Amino acid sequence: MPDHSPDSHTAAPSAAPSAAPSAAPSASPSGRPLRVGVCGPVGTGKSSIIATLCRELAPTLELAVVTNDIYTDEDARFLRSAGVLDAQRIRAVETGACPHTAIRDDITANLLTVEELEEEYPALDLVLVESGGDNLTATFSPALVDAQIFVLDVAGGGDVARKGGPGIERADLLVVNKTDLAPYVGVDVARMISDASAVRSTRPVIGLSRTDRASIADLLAWVSTTLDRHRSGVLVPQDPGPMARHVHAHQH
Amino acid sequence: MHHELLVMLLADSRLPVAGHTQSGTVEAALAHGLTTHDVPAYLQTRLRSVTLVEAGTAVVARHVTRAGGRPDDVDRAWAARTPSPALRQASRGQGRALKHLAGKLWPEALVPLVGLAAPSRATVLGTVAGHLGLGPGSLARLIGYDDVQTVCSAVLKLAPLDPAVASGWVAAALPEVAALADQVADLTVPDRIPAVGCPQIEVWAEAHAVTSRRLFRA
Ligand SMILES: Nc1nc2c(ncn2[C@@H]2O[C@H](COP(=O)(O)OP(=O)(O)OP(=O)(O)O)[C@@H](O)[C@H]2O)c(=O)[nH]1
Ligand SMILES: [Mg+2]
Repeated sequence: MPDHSPDSHTAAPSAAPSAAPSAAPSASPSGRPLRVGVCGPVGTGKSSIIATLCRELAPTLELAVVTNDIYTDEDARFLRSAGVLDAQRIRAVETGACPHTAIRDDITANLLTVEELEEEYPALDLVLVESGGDNLTATFSPALVDAQIFVLDVAGGGDVARKGGPGIERADLLVVNKTDLAPYVGVDVARMISDASAVRSTRPVIGLSRTDRASIADLLAWVSTTLDRHRSGVLVPQDPGPMARHVHAHQH
Repeated sequence: MHHELLVMLLADSRLPVAGHTQSGTVEAALAHGLTTHDVPAYLQTRLRSVTLVEAGTAVVARHVTRAGGRPDDVDRAWAARTPSPALRQASRGQGRALKHLAGKLWPEALVPLVGLAAPSRATVLGTVAGHLGLGPGSLARLIGYDDVQTVCSAVLKLAPLDPAVASGWVAAALPEVAALADQVADLTVPDRIPAVGCPQIEVWAEAHAVTSRRLFRA
């Protein structure tokens, strides 16, 4: 009986020539694509942001996506059905009801899936990993991703950003999503963003809405800068950490 | 070397080898009518079939690689005794995860596996155990114990249950684990690896592989 290895049925189609600037895999000192994690509470818009990034970036960059669904492969199916990326480049990882574990203390399932995609598509520039939406405390291990985006939405309330937490305070980018909903949920977006900025020192915050072109341009600019830093070898994965560090703002 | 401590390390669910993604097919079994009441019998059935094959494979891989050989034939013997593609794929995924970790902790342990595409978890574990100097009995007990814990901790996620009840199932299965180890500890050649399938587990594993609603990989 011929017994193929699990991966052998998904032979990589020959990579299409990419129009991206310096898209060669050797472009980064690590010799591999940039890995960006997208995490944050349930329903804040992680999959939608990934779909937006795929739609905007797929013409110029080689992309792949890994989703961590809690119970179904719904996120992966949503992204496949969005038609923004070849379905083979979107893989779901099961987390055994442990979404935190899978991005933090045992990243094996995710890492192997990312590596599998990198082997099958050697020209990849960017791999996006969506965490299983859970709560405010889950962040990615720096051993899994090079940079991470933490996503909040205005519908979660204006206080969430001010309350802080590891992702809010120290993720490489904080997105306050669905700003178009602010008038309906009584949230002052400018205030929410300034509260978030206050707990993040110099780290960036973007108020985002899929209906606001300028905000999408800001997001794309962040990705582009991060990709450049990865390629030039100056991007050092930062750990937002599982615990909020206590900062003494007052004078001793 | 502290063999007992190494066994503890390898048996610990906190070892980052994606153990939390596995249910030992019990997720599919529960979805297809097995009740929590049946779990002890399910554990016993596994220990006498699929897990016996795994333990036998690991023990022979250990023996062959310690003698300076390659485990290719051992891995083929395992595949021939594991007719379900879903179970083979799950085991190969776990083998890859273990190789990934062992490559960081004990890189020399992987030398006999070089060039072997997608070895089973049993083949990798047997090879690593041989490198670490673990005995065949310890290795077989490790595999049996890990299988029992995998199933029981998955059941806790899937069904309403007092965790102490699940631990009680594990404790009650220990004599069966010891019996499994006695059965395979002396094996040295691939031909002698037990060939006992369990068609019902294989059918469940295949059904699980194509469902879109699952918590566990396999
Ligand atoms: N109004 C508005 N709704 C949005 C926006 N982005 C996403 N949504 C909606 O928010 C809901 C959740 O979006 P998803 O992208 O599935 O969120 P998610 O964080 O991936 O969700 P989980 O994976 O289930 O945690 C969907 O109904 C989206 O259509 C936005 O910019 N504005
Ligand atoms: Mg999602």
